[in-house]
Formats: sequence, C-alpha cells, structure tokens
Amino acid sequence: MPIIPSELVHGHPAIGRQELRRRLLAGETLLSDSADHLLEVVGVLESYGEVLDAYSRNLIYQAEGQFLNPVPIFKYFNGDLNPARIWRHLNHDRINFEYAEYCQKAMLWHATGGLDSYLDSPEFLDGCQRIIAAKRRRDPLLALLHPLAPGFLPELIRSAATTHALGQFWRVMSDLFLDLAAAERDGRVDSIATVVEFIRAGLVAAAGQPIRYCVEIAGESFWVLPPQAGLSFLVDVAVPYVEAVFLRGTPFLGTVSFNAQARQISPDQARFAYGALYADPLPTMGAGIPPSLLMQDMFRHLPEKLHQWYRQRSRGEGDVRVKICMSFQKSMFCVTDAAIQGTMPHPLDSDQPQQRAANEAYADAWASRLDSARTDCLSD
Amino acid sequence: MPLNTMLLSALLLIPFAGSLTLLLWPGSPPPQRFRLLAITILVIQLLASLATALVFDPSQAGMQLQELHRWLPGIALDYSLAVDGLSLPLVLINAALTLVSAVITRDIDKRPRIYFAMLLLISGAVNGAFLAQNLLLFFLFYELELIPLWLLISVWGGSNRAYAATKFLVFTASSGMLILGAFLGLALLTGSVDFSFTPVHSDRLASGGQLLILITILVGFGIKIPLVPLHNWLPDAHTQASTPVSVLLAGVLLKLGTYGMLRFGLQLFPEAWAKLAPTLAIWAAISVLYGSLAAIAQTDMKRMVAYSSVGHMGYVLLAAAAHTPVSLLGAVFQMVSHGLISALLFLLVGIVYRKTGTRDLEVLRGLLNPEKGLPLTGSLMIVAVMASAGLPGMAGFISEFLVFRGSISVFPLATLLSMVGSGLTAVYFLLLVNRAFFGRLAITPASADPAADARLDVQLAPVAPRETIPALALAAAVLLIGLVPAGLGRLSEVATTAMALLSPRLS
Repeated sequence: MPIIPSELVHGHPAIGRQELRRRLLAGETLLSDSADHLLEVVGVLESYGEVLDAYSRNLIYQAEGQFLNPVPIFKYFNGDLNPARIWRHLNHDRINFEYAEYCQKAMLWHATGGLDSYLDSPEFLDGCQRIIAAKRRRDPLLALLHPLAPGFLPELIRSAATTHALGQFWRVMSDLFLDLAAAERDGRVDSIATVVEFIRAGLVAAAGQPIRYCVEIAGESFWVLPPQAGLSFLVDVAVPYVEAVFLRGTPFLGTVSFNAQARQISPDQARFAYGALYADPLPTMGAGIPPSLLMQDMFRHLPEKLHQWYRQRSRGEGDVRVKICMSFQKSMFCVTDAAIQGTMPHPLDSDQPQQRAANEAYADAWASRLDSARTDCLSD
Repeated sequence: MPLNTMLLSALLLIPFAGSLTLLLWPGSPPPQRFRLLAITILVIQLLASLATALVFDPSQAGMQLQELHRWLPGIALDYSLAVDGLSLPLVLINAALTLVSAVITRDIDKRPRIYFAMLLLISGAVNGAFLAQNLLLFFLFYELELIPLWLLISVWGGSNRAYAATKFLVFTASSGMLILGAFLGLALLTGSVDFSFTPVHSDRLASGGQLLILITILVGFGIKIPLVPLHNWLPDAHTQASTPVSVLLAGVLLKLGTYGMLRFGLQLFPEAWAKLAPTLAIWAAISVLYGSLAAIAQTDMKRMVAYSSVGHMGYVLLAAAAHTPVSLLGAVFQMVSHGLISALLFLLVGIVYRKTGTRDLEVLRGLLNPEKGLPLTGSLMIVAVMASAGLPGMAGFISEFLVFRGSISVFPLATLLSMVGSGLTAVYFLLLVNRAFFGRLAITPASADPAADARLDVQLAPVAPRETIPALALAAAVLLIGLVPAGLGRLSEVATTAMALLSPRLS
C-alpha cells in the first residue's frame, strides 16, 4: 500500500481546558484573530442574519396565525398561499423552516431557564384553560379533541409559546448580525475581538427586552406570555436557547448519529454535549442526506466575498455546506464568547480576590464544558 | 467481394494495424495524442463488431461469416475465421471493454506509444482467439496476448509488478503449453493433421485418450479462467496491474479460458465431457465457495474483487458441466455480465485508489460522504455490488438464474453449494461497501484517540464527470442486460442449444 499523501488529511489540535480558561480570564477571544476568521465569521453571520429573519417571521406567524391548529399544513407559507409559492415550495426553492422548528423543539425538550419555569406554572395553565375554552366555542374539532386528550391542547399552547419566544429572540439576533456586517463594511469592526465586543454589546442592550405573547380569538386578546410573567430576552430565552442549541443538541441532519442503546448518549439531559459547538461539520451516513438544513439556507444568502473565498478552497462549491458549517461553528464560538463575557460575574480587571475567584470559577465551569467541543476550529 | 466476407478479418486488422500505426508514428507527440488515436481505432473496432452483430443471423446454429485461406498447409495452419452465438457476445464485450480501458487510461507518461499499442494488440489477439476456426490459429492468438499483457503489468504496474508479472507469465504460459500439448496430442492420437474445429476427429479416439486430452485442456483453460487451485496468479496480477489493465484482464481475458473450455472441451469432446461432468460440477462448487470465502478474508478492495472473479467464473464451469440448453445460455450470460460487472468494479476501485491513495478496507471509511467523499463513485459501487450479488433487474441476476435453473436438475448439490456462494457474494461486497463507504469519512488508520480522529478533515479531490462516464456506461449496460435480457439471449440461444445437444444428456 502506498503512503497516503499528507495533504489529503488535515488535523488541527483541539484547544485544551487550561487554554480555554486562560483565554476567558485574560479577556482574549476564544477564536484566534485572523483576516480569514474575520471574513468567515462576519460573512456567515450576515447570511445567518438573513436566514434568521425568515425563521423569525415564520415562527411568529406560526405562533399567531396557526395557533391551536392541530393540522397546520400551510404553516410555512406565512399566510401567502398561492400556486406559484406552492410550486416553489414543492421544488424546494425555499427556506428550510423545519430547522427553525427543530431548534424550537430542542428548547422545548431541554426545558431550561425562566421561560420553561413559567410554562410549568399554574398561571400559565390557567391561561391555557381560558384560551382553550374560548377557542372550543368556535372550533368543533378542538371541542371534540380536548375532552378526548386533555393534555394535547395545553401542550400545543406550550409549544406555541416557545415558538413565539424563539421568533422574538431571532428577531433581535437577525438585526444584530446584519448590523454587524454593516459595521464591518464601514470599518467599525475589524477584528475578532471587535466582533465579540459588538455581539456582547448587542446582547447586553437587548438583555432586558421583555418577551410577551398574545393571541386573538374572535376579536378578544388572550395573553400566553403576559407582561406579569416578567420574562426577558437574555435570561429567559437567550440563555435557554444557547443551552439547548449550542451546547446540548443541534439538529444538524446528516451529522454523526448516536446510538442511545449503546450508551453513546447520556441519560442525563444536562450532560448532553451534541450542540452546535460539538457537532461534526462533516456529514456522515449515506449520499443525499444534506449536511444540515441550516447550511443549505445560509448558502442561499452567502455574501459574495465569502462565497468567493469558499470557491477558492478545497472542492469549491462541492463541499461548500461543510465549509459553511465550519465557519458557522467559529461564529457560534464568538457568540458564546460574547455571552460568557457579558455574564462574567465581575469585571476581569477587578483586583478584589473574591471577585477574581468568582470569575475564575465561572471561567473554569465554561472551560470544563467546552473542553470536548470542536475547539480545533479556534486556532488558525 | 461482399463486405460481409471481410468483417471478421476487419476485427483483427483494425486493432493490429492500429497497433502498428502507433508504434511507427513519427516524432514524439504528447501522450494524449496516442490515447486519442487508440480511442479512435477502438471506436472503429466497436463499430465493426456491432456491424458483425447486425449481419449475424441468430436463428442459425452454425458458424457464420466464414473466411478461410490456406496459410501453412504443411502444418495444417489455416487462416480460418467464423463467428457463432458463443463467440459474438465475447467479441462485442472485447471491443467495448478495450475501449473503456483506453478511455480510463490517463496520465500515462511512461512510454504511452507502447502502452496503447499493446492494448490494441491484446484486443486484436483476443478477437483472433474468439474467431479462429483452426486449433493452431487459436493457439497463436491465445499466446499472442500474453506478452503484451505481461508488459502492461510489468512496466505500468504497481510496486511489486515484477513478481506479479512473472507469476502471470509462468502460469499462463503453462496454460498455453498444456493447450498446445492437447491439440498436438489430438493430432497425434487421431493421426490427422486437420486442426479445424470438429468433434469428428475426437470421435476416432478411444475413451481414455479423449479423457486424457480433455483433462489437459481443462487444466490449461482452468489456469486462465482461473479455477481453484490454479487461480494463484490472478489476485497478484490484479493487485499490481493498473486499473485499465485490470478491467481488460477481468472483463475480457479471463473469458478466453471459459470460451476455450466450452469450445475445445465441451464441443470437441462431448462424450468425454459427459463422463467428467459430475467432477467438473464439484470442482465448480469448490471454486465458487473458495473464491467467495477468500474474498471475505481480503482487506484490499482489488484483491477482494479479484477473488470474487474466481468465484463467479465457477458458475460458468457449473453451467458447462450441466450443459443443458438453459445452463449454457446462462454461461454466455455469465461471461458477459461478469465481464461488465467486474470491469465496473475494478474501474470504481481504481477511482477510489487514485483519489485516496489506498484500497485498504481497514483504513477507508465514509467515502459515500455527499460533500467531501466520492458519492457518485460510491453509488455506482453499490449498483455494481448489487449486480454482482445477483439482485433482480441487473445482469448478474439473469446469468445466475439461468445457470442455477439450468444446472439444478442435473447437479442439485453442486448447484445448491454454488447458490451459497452467490449468497456469500452479498456478504463480502456488503462488507466492502459498509467498511469503505459508510461512516465518517476517513482515509487513515484509526488512532488511539477517537475524538482526534473525528476532527480530521479529509481533502479528497472531486471525481470529474469525465472520470465517471465509463463507469456510468458500464452500469447502464449492466442494467440494460438485466432489464432486457432478450437481446443477448436471442444472439446466443440457438448456438448454445445446439452445443448442449452435442453431448449426451445427463440425468
């Protein structure tokens, strides 16, 4: 057997726990700074921003326009139902809204943070009963369904609440990422550190933004997530989203599959590590399975500069979705970095031992969590 | 002189003249020019072969388009050519697969002139062997393809090519000597110097003499086919040969053995054949099972395909042993379908090797990866292994079904054992597909750190469409024969039925 040419196989060393901790405490970015990284991160976040805009609009439409519809066949059409659109949909000339739903379901199943606590509260259940009673009066199918399966409609409302909350979260993130691209174009962002700072500032600015959700039934308004619940952007939606999608599990279809019966998946959901930061960008399984619905969507909105950069590397457009996934992973490390920086208990330059110890413990916890993530993408 | 009378000579002249043209071509043109010239000549040869098929009358059992010229009357060597339903499909497949071999030959920087000239010479010699109607003429053509093939392996082969080429030469030259010995023995024992194909002379021989010559012929062609335990040269030859040579070797040259066995064994010695048939059937079953089991044990993709050839050629022997009309038609189908399927398999293995630098099944993983692997190559490989395993709708199914259907009433045990071999084909080819094409893409051995392995980024060059076109054409042919077998069946049925009636029926 001949020796396999070394240029065919590349391996970047993973960054260890100590180095992650050091970077976090030193205020350095997790992703190393380079012109290529800047191009990748800003470009892919711009396309992600475009996609999130579509996801956000559809999730909000689903939560409001398809509320308590047990058979929402046309939920991806945003109410714009015409033959041309249906034809494009059937030809798959469309955004993969399924990906947005998978993320919503990941949030629903992993169930962390303030939003989930409210969804488990008696106030929410009371609100559900009022909404169901109002809806049943006008909808015979629901009138039949509810007595047969009393848990079904509250679960639909619970799901709709998560859908709407994620739609609101992505509305903010979409604008933030598109603003980031604009900032890079006008020179305000010129390094990975400024990218992380821009995202951090955006998250902090939106942190207190309230999360509310109201539906209208026969001209009457009903709160699903009322102002009294006190839900806010960062703590109640952004953090659970990061927990569910970045850390625990991302629906990148076609990536490595895990066998629960072979104990390849922890029975403890909190110890799941299959999120975007851990996912293998290389799709496996058979031919024809897309590497990820999200990567397909982002490919449709790639900025020309980044598209050109991809064309010049490896297989050009042949493996562009894998390259997008790799860039996306880098950008998600930047977002995670911004979130960690933004939630650091105390200023990093504090000279008080107690505050420094708290910061170290916080950084330690994150470094430990990210130890098995795809940190190989962080170096040059 | 009508054109028809020259058609068979044209099938010899085109490649031989082409070979000579390449050798005498003035100057030092770039290798690609030789390739284009060879492809042009082979396209003309393919068209001539198709023209032969068009003027061939499949309703007649005997030899057609005969050409006879006295050459060396003193030793009864005549230039005698003809074609029948047994040889015509093989002439067609020779033209098609030599063309495929030339098309897939790329980046020949070492003596391209000689390489392509040898390719044409082999094709012409093989045509000559299939069309010859004189034993000595057959032998001349049979021997003529040895040296070019030896050169193709020993000059353009892998790192251990000298060993493989020498082994190939020793085995196949022995095969030639045995065959020549048998032909001369036939003349000696019958006292005739007529070397034309006719069972009349062998009728004059005593039973013992017939058996002796038949066994000599069987061993001679058994080396070429190859049958266990005479197969030893084949895996080494395939492993060291370049992909185009492997395509030619598996697709065409092995068929010289099965053709010779039918033509000079069954057709010349029908009485003795009937006596040996039960032994041959057992030999076939052993060959099938041994080839299949040996294939399971291989970790080199090419050796696995080579051993599968050993197994699959056993089906032809089984069909010949049973020599019912259906089984003999199955034998023709098996020769054609094995030619196409093994050529496709070797071609695809060649693509894998060219892109990854290895054929090791303990190293390769996930090549079906849609983004960074070889998805079309992998998909075609799945088609090829399905065809080889005899899945309905593909050429392998038709041939295996006919072989088994035609043989089971005569040799039930040997047929059942061979059917087990067919099942084993699915086993080893599924192992191949599962190991090399499924899972996460990898072309290096697994290390002690699975997490690090899972982070490796493999950069395989994409397979250009032009590299896949020959494989697509072969896969289409495999499907076409599987879905519309009547065309090939019509071409050979009358001839194989007549051949079956020559020998006494077995119960």
